[in-house]
Amino acid sequence: MKKFVFALVAMMLAAAVWAEGDQIRSFELLSRTQAEDPTEFQAAQLVAQEWRKLGLDVEHKAIPWEQLAQVVWFDRDPPDWDMTMWRMVGRPERSDPDELIYNLFHSSTADAGYNFIAYSNPEYDAVVEAQRVETDPDARQALIIQAQEILDRDQPNAFLVHPQQAYAYRSDIWDPATVVEQSGIGIKNFWTFVDAAPLTDQRDMILNSGVVVQAINPLYISGATDSWITELIWDRLLRISPEGLAEPWAAESYNWVDDTTIDVTLRSGMTWHDGEPVTVEDVVFSFQAPQGDESPMYKPFVSGIADIAALDENTVRFTLSQPSAAFLTATLAKINLVPLHIWGPILDDLSTKDENAESYQEEIPIGSGPFKYVNWLRSQEVVLEANTEHFSAPEIDRWILRIIPNAEASLGMLRSGELNFLSGYLGDPQVLVQTSEGQPIDVVASTEVGFRYVAFNHRAAPFDDPAFRRALSLALNRNFFVQAAYKGFAVPSNSPVSTALGFWTAPGITDLETGIELAKGILAEAGYTLDGRGRLHYPDGVTEQHGN
Amino acid sequence: MATPNTSLRTARPSRWRLFVRSLAGTGALLLRDPYALFGTVVYALFVLIALFAEQLAPFDPLEILFTPEGNLAADLRPSREHPLGTTSLARDVYSQLLYGTRSALLVGVTAAFCVVAIGTVVGLVAGYFGGLVDTVLMRLADIAFGIPFLPFVIVLAAFLEPSVWNVVLAMALILWRDTGRVIRSQVLTVRERSYVEAARVTGSSTPRIIFLHIAPNILPLSFLYGSIAVGWAILTEASISFLGFGDSNVISWGYMLQDAFVSQALSRGSYYWFVPPGIAIVLVVTAGFFISRGYEELLFPRLREED
Amino acid sequence: MTGISRFGRRFLQMVFVLWAVATILFFLFRLAPGSPLAAYIEPTFTQEQQESILRRFGLDRPVHVQYGIYLLNLLKGDLGDSFHLSGSVASIVRDVFPYTIALTLVSLIIAYIIGVLAGAFLAWRRGSVFEGITIPLVLTTRAAPEFWLGMILLAFFSFKLGWFPAGGALSPGAEFPNNFARFFSFDFLRHLFLPGLTLAIYLHGLPLLLMLSNMLEIMQDDFVTMAEMKGLSTWTILVRHAARNALLPVVTAFALGVGYSIGGNVVVETVFSWPGLGRVLVRAVASSDYPLAQGAFFVIAVVMIFMNFIADLLYSSLDPRVSSGDAKH
Repeated sequence: MKKFVFALVAMMLAAAVWAEGDQIRSFELLSRTQAEDPTEFQAAQLVAQEWRKLGLDVEHKAIPWEQLAQVVWFDRDPPDWDMTMWRMVGRPERSDPDELIYNLFHSSTADAGYNFIAYSNPEYDAVVEAQRVETDPDARQALIIQAQEILDRDQPNAFLVHPQQAYAYRSDIWDPATVVEQSGIGIKNFWTFVDAAPLTDQRDMILNSGVVVQAINPLYISGATDSWITELIWDRLLRISPEGLAEPWAAESYNWVDDTTIDVTLRSGMTWHDGEPVTVEDVVFSFQAPQGDESPMYKPFVSGIADIAALDENTVRFTLSQPSAAFLTATLAKINLVPLHIWGPILDDLSTKDENAESYQEEIPIGSGPFKYVNWLRSQEVVLEANTEHFSAPEIDRWILRIIPNAEASLGMLRSGELNFLSGYLGDPQVLVQTSEGQPIDVVASTEVGFRYVAFNHRAAPFDDPAFRRALSLALNRNFFVQAAYKGFAVPSNSPVSTALGFWTAPGITDLETGIELAKGILAEAGYTLDGRGRLHYPDGVTEQHGN
Repeated sequence: MATPNTSLRTARPSRWRLFVRSLAGTGALLLRDPYALFGTVVYALFVLIALFAEQLAPFDPLEILFTPEGNLAADLRPSREHPLGTTSLARDVYSQLLYGTRSALLVGVTAAFCVVAIGTVVGLVAGYFGGLVDTVLMRLADIAFGIPFLPFVIVLAAFLEPSVWNVVLAMALILWRDTGRVIRSQVLTVRERSYVEAARVTGSSTPRIIFLHIAPNILPLSFLYGSIAVGWAILTEASISFLGFGDSNVISWGYMLQDAFVSQALSRGSYYWFVPPGIAIVLVVTAGFFISRGYEELLFPRLREED
Repeated sequence: MTGISRFGRRFLQMVFVLWAVATILFFLFRLAPGSPLAAYIEPTFTQEQQESILRRFGLDRPVHVQYGIYLLNLLKGDLGDSFHLSGSVASIVRDVFPYTIALTLVSLIIAYIIGVLAGAFLAWRRGSVFEGITIPLVLTTRAAPEFWLGMILLAFFSFKLGWFPAGGALSPGAEFPNNFARFFSFDFLRHLFLPGLTLAIYLHGLPLLLMLSNMLEIMQDDFVTMAEMKGLSTWTILVRHAARNALLPVVTAFALGVGYSIGGNVVVETVFSWPGLGRVLVRAVASSDYPLAQGAFFVIAVVMIFMNFIADLLYSSLDPRVSSGDAKH
């Protein structure tokens, strides 16, 4: 008996010595908590289950968003995570692929910016830099597609899906013909809020959000919900149209003088909500204000402007430091027009203090947009009313945003009519559809500009190996995830450019062949081996890097 | 010196015999009082379920299940295979309910033990020594009374790794105050009794007096607080899980309720999912109350509730 | 010991506890994991910008300096600024506090009215089958998790029958001339009904049992026996003598209950989307918004400590048996 035990121990020791490389360590797959995002939580559970089939020890660990952000985003020196569920949300400005395709993967943003996974590929850097200054759309399209093909080869992340965000509204209250679907964004957008026509005496649009409103401030990019409000109170020179293009709004027109010079003509007869006229001085001020240090979040969006000056009473000239393909979308359609007579004195006062404009809250916010501020009851609601003087005056009387922290309550309110536009729904879309059957409720699901994915930390083995990442990514059957975790409300993804952005999508990029056996094959080919207990080991010569 | 020792030797067994008799009396009383009997039976049942959860549960409570066709077995209605249906994450509700017994009893009993142990020791020491020790301990109790319990547990649970033990820790840090105060005033009366006086005069060591002469008299009171604390711990764990500060890798009834709530079991009308864990909590907590009522009859024949 | 000095001593004790709790809070929140910067994650962000935010909130100073500033500010009633929400913590708390107080007081008052009446009634019918059924039922309400009870009431009365709103405290865009009109409007009361009922069901057990046991005790006292001998009816004795005396401890329990419920309402506020202090606290804790979480927690603690103080005074002034105010007797 003793002999047998001895032999067994010897065998195990020998196996350890003879193995090609170290056994791959155990991984924690991070995600938000179930309460914060049930779908992501479920996707994580399924991902972990699939990867275990490859001989990896993967444990799913859900932690609150703020802690997750600390571990994954802020602590980069050194980062202490292996893989995490992550998301990029859709926003009108992201209708231009530059923000995601450049910032997420360019090596320059690895230390502090968007490239938190530390993906680094000089070939890729060159391509995305080139598209940035390429003003010819077709040439730029070729570059964007080339970038996506590099990402497909390198698999820096396992892109999972582009979700189809479901929104719903009472079709007995809002004329369905006037509810606008913005590509990549869905029906909850600026155009719907301005255009929606009431069918009955109920002229208040009552919407919901699960997140509290942090601030109502034109010089501060705060929570996602806050931006719905700032978009309505403050005008911008251009707006992203329902088709995803930057089009004149407060500007009557614009004219490229050359590659780096653009003249913008301001619409005449506009007024601020306090009755003062909107002037070119206000416009110049609005773009100069973020250039200082009082509005750090908007600063990156005006950094490409070398000079800005009023040519006459209606025209402003922007001079850029270099050609920029995304200038219309990322700057002219992004910066809020703010009144000089209000913010001028405030900024002067703030320049002597520690605080900046982001912490300043106007008692009654004043913009020139299609809606005026009425009331804000903290953690309950924000009320805006139609600005009937506006050049594009809304059809509705009031726009009321209710803060409803859970999906269950918001659904109940939609049924009872306490809400008539479901604008923030994180629950199961199938439940929403079932609930709406036989009721005057229209559910509209649109493919998002954003995407959901599993991010790998490239700073340590085995995630620095493209073959390893590719194997993990291809182990995941995207269609299964679409059905199981997203209940059919998503489309498969293999790129940061959503299929919703038709023009920029690389054809066939999502036609991924997936499967556990395929993934095992890739691993074997790259030299990874399984030991007698079915655990995966590194290829010969690769060792686990300890003590990061 | 010899005399006290002999007197102690004779006193000691009699004290303990008294205590043992009182325990036996307790048992008898529990069986006589129908409520207490009910409570005891429920407890016994839950202990059995907890012990044999693996044998009783048809599935691993965390396993993601698939239908024979290879689809996710999510949101299934009750059937022969899944008596209480499945969750939105395709897990068996019935198995979760059975496994939930484990964490409930584990958290309940450990927390109750910590609370009562700390409270009893504090009460004994403060009551017996009086003076500065008493003042310090009672001011600490005042502070503990000044900390809102549930908010404190929330903060603790959010700051530490998600775990069912956070509740135990928070209870041990805060809730000893109630037991401590009551035990202390009980000790104040007991220590004046003649046999304690006698032991002191004859030179028994302090620990001896505290643990041999005084403690047996107050232990039933500790048990009373303990049986209530079990319920408190289970309810608190449920609340914390419900608010999303629990550990999603350990099945507890609180976790099940949270899971059901965020997965919209109300809108789905999945009563079979969110009603049973609540009933289980009600049963086990009520059982604790019933048993404590039995104790109360024993301790205060003229039933008097103190909060 | 005179009443005045007893009051003074209790008051000092309260101040001491307040200081201790404030100190514990300060150090507790310094242990918080997660980044206060997490709310700012979306835009591109430089190291320098992150540091400027830390500076803005004084997070770059040594801990003992922060502690000193914190205590001084507390004395001035300044709870600092929230990391994520615009405005001071005091203003955020001031906005939501009335909702929590309204919910707490209304549910407690209902619970105590029902509890006291039912307790007195059960004492009158002591030993009956009715009591045998009621007592376990009452204990059951105390054993049910509040949020679970709330979920069931919500599913039935709101989702299924549609009798009550599914959450919130006021109808969308409701306008009122002042706060008085707001909190006494039919609209507000309609929203208050389900969360109030949930809490009242949970809370009524304590006054009921307290009343019952006090009544039973007092009814064995000599003066009740005397009254019985005088030929007064049971009901008269109950109402005139026993009930009045039995009420005193219940009043004390009510004062304590206000303090305890303010902190315990958190889960009910979550189920009913009630815009109260508890939800602010949970949200702030989860988002590492220390100043806000700390402030909300402190306000809850202050209410509780103050109500403990009131209960203490009530207890000693109402109950003649407590003489020196100390438990040693």
